Amino acid sequence: MQIVGYALANLAGLAIVMCAIRFYSDVSTAYRNEDSFVSKDYMIISRPVSTLTTLGLKKADGGFTPKDISELEEQPWMRKVGAFSSANFSVMASMGLGDSNMSTYMFLESIPDDFLDVMPEGWDWKPGQTVPVIMSREYLALYNFGFAGSRGLPQLSESIIGRVPITFRLSGNGKSTVVMARIVGFSSRLNTIAVPGTFMTWANDQFAVPGTQPNPSRLILEVSKPGDPAIMKYMERHNYEVAGDNTDNSRATYFLRIITAIVVTIGAVISLLAFFILTLSIFLLLQKSREKLHNLMLLGYTPAQAAAPYYRLVVAVNAGILVLSTVIMFVASARWQAQLDEIGVHAGSALPALLAGATIVLAVTALNLLTIRRIVRKAF
Amino acid sequence: MSKTTLPFGRIDSITLDMALPGVFAGQEKEGHVALSEVWMHSLTFSRPGRYMIEAESGAGKSSLCSFIYGNRSDYLGDILFNDTNVRTLSIEQWCLVRLRHLALLPQEMKLFAELSVMENIQIKNRLTGACTTVQIMDMLERLGVAEKADQPAGRLSVGQQQRVAVIRALCQPFDFIILDEPVSHLDATNNGRVAELVTEAAARNGGSIITTSVGNPLVLDEAKHIRL
Repeated sequence: MQIVGYALANLAGLAIVMCAIRFYSDVSTAYRNEDSFVSKDYMIISRPVSTLTTLGLKKADGGFTPKDISELEEQPWMRKVGAFSSANFSVMASMGLGDSNMSTYMFLESIPDDFLDVMPEGWDWKPGQTVPVIMSREYLALYNFGFAGSRGLPQLSESIIGRVPITFRLSGNGKSTVVMARIVGFSSRLNTIAVPGTFMTWANDQFAVPGTQPNPSRLILEVSKPGDPAIMKYMERHNYEVAGDNTDNSRATYFLRIITAIVVTIGAVISLLAFFILTLSIFLLLQKSREKLHNLMLLGYTPAQAAAPYYRLVVAVNAGILVLSTVIMFVASARWQAQLDEIGVHAGSALPALLAGATIVLAVTALNLLTIRRIVRKAF
Repeated sequence: MSKTTLPFGRIDSITLDMALPGVFAGQEKEGHVALSEVWMHSLTFSRPGRYMIEAESGAGKSSLCSFIYGNRSDYLGDILFNDTNVRTLSIEQWCLVRLRHLALLPQEMKLFAELSVMENIQIKNRLTGACTTVQIMDMLERLGVAEKADQPAGRLSVGQQQRVAVIRALCQPFDFIILDEPVSHLDATNNGRVAELVTEAAARNGGSIITTSVGNPLVLDEAKHIRL
């Protein structure tokens, strides 16, 4: 009877734990998609542009000083800091779209390679090769919906624009040259036009006036806990601006993590209580059979042989609980996944939930078996 | 699981060296302990041999059986199997001793009341594989309880239960068989049949018989009588 009580209680606890973990892995895919180059743990900060700088009354170099950077590096939530290096020369980009030919002045930036999760093809640039470019997805949207329509130019998809050859005319320091370039990817998180660091170094060497390299105006940060309120406070205190809306995502992830942790804890507590019920009922059961166990061992049965029926009972009950919890988890997740699908969030892996469930059941079973072994040997 | 082994091949002697039940500590010079030929002596049971331990109730007769059989260890002094102090045996080693070297008929018999007579015997025989069902039925026949084979042991009279328990104790090879008041509820005829069965088994196994009695002893010829 107590065993049934235990089974139900532990079933509830384990099902809650597994569902919570499954839900977390499902929902967190929503925050992980669409940007393969840099992960969600990165954020980009800059100094705000003030009216004074616009009017030229304050020195335009509002960049980050080495002191600012080293202070950032010392923060406990900081993993690493990278600086955007900008082109200190002028760039004129032209691209041919069928008959029409477009050209515009533009800017280029680069970030250290180790901030890129995925290296786009051709990113290991050497002089003489085509320059790979990662562009902000927002810029393409600006062109397609703002510019192309009003000027009668064709709208471009991401795949088409990757095939259009672009030429950069680089000039400065009394020299100029033309290089070929190609857009190799789009990013929602990098709001810039990014080129490889090797290209930027080479080009700045060639075309920048020596000694005029300004402080970096933007930094890319890898933080350990995105959404940590301490980060936001720090940014506000130093009056740094955080680019993009990724912080909202981070915050949502942060809340999601807290909620998942709470639910998992509740499930774990229920499982723990259930485990105590089982241990107690095994204890009572064995006490009732103590005399019989003793008599069996008088006949020459080893404690392991005498305890075998109890071992089997515990293993069967716990295995049943694991199977049922898994079924409950899949049934429940099928229901919420139907709803998540409607908002474009796709199912994550069931593996973490299954692993957690199996681990808990294994641990509980091992402890149960040890308890039985101890009691039976005491009855010898 | 590691294979359990014993430090001896067969038990050739069981030696009590200054043994005394813990509850008798401090009474070494008093009453029955002072008169005992077992407690506080060096006493050896050899193989083959026949021993009859005579005791008044309360002298520690069942305790002695339990000490030798390993289910109690609350005694002073030592008990040796050959040269091995039995206190060094592990639980698994004791189980092996009980399967191959020592047989015990406890005074309370310890049958499983809800199991049938045959099941009670088979629960032991399954472990040792010592007898066939036919052999068991033959023994039940000889002790006059064959028709009870399928009845729950709890429904049998004490005398019938004693005979079933004797047969169960015989379902194993042994160097020593310890019979704690095996015939206390049996008449002379059945006493003789039990004695015959036990001596046959002892001869077959080359084993010794140690039996206890408070008044109605097993009819055992040429047994060495020891006062507890």
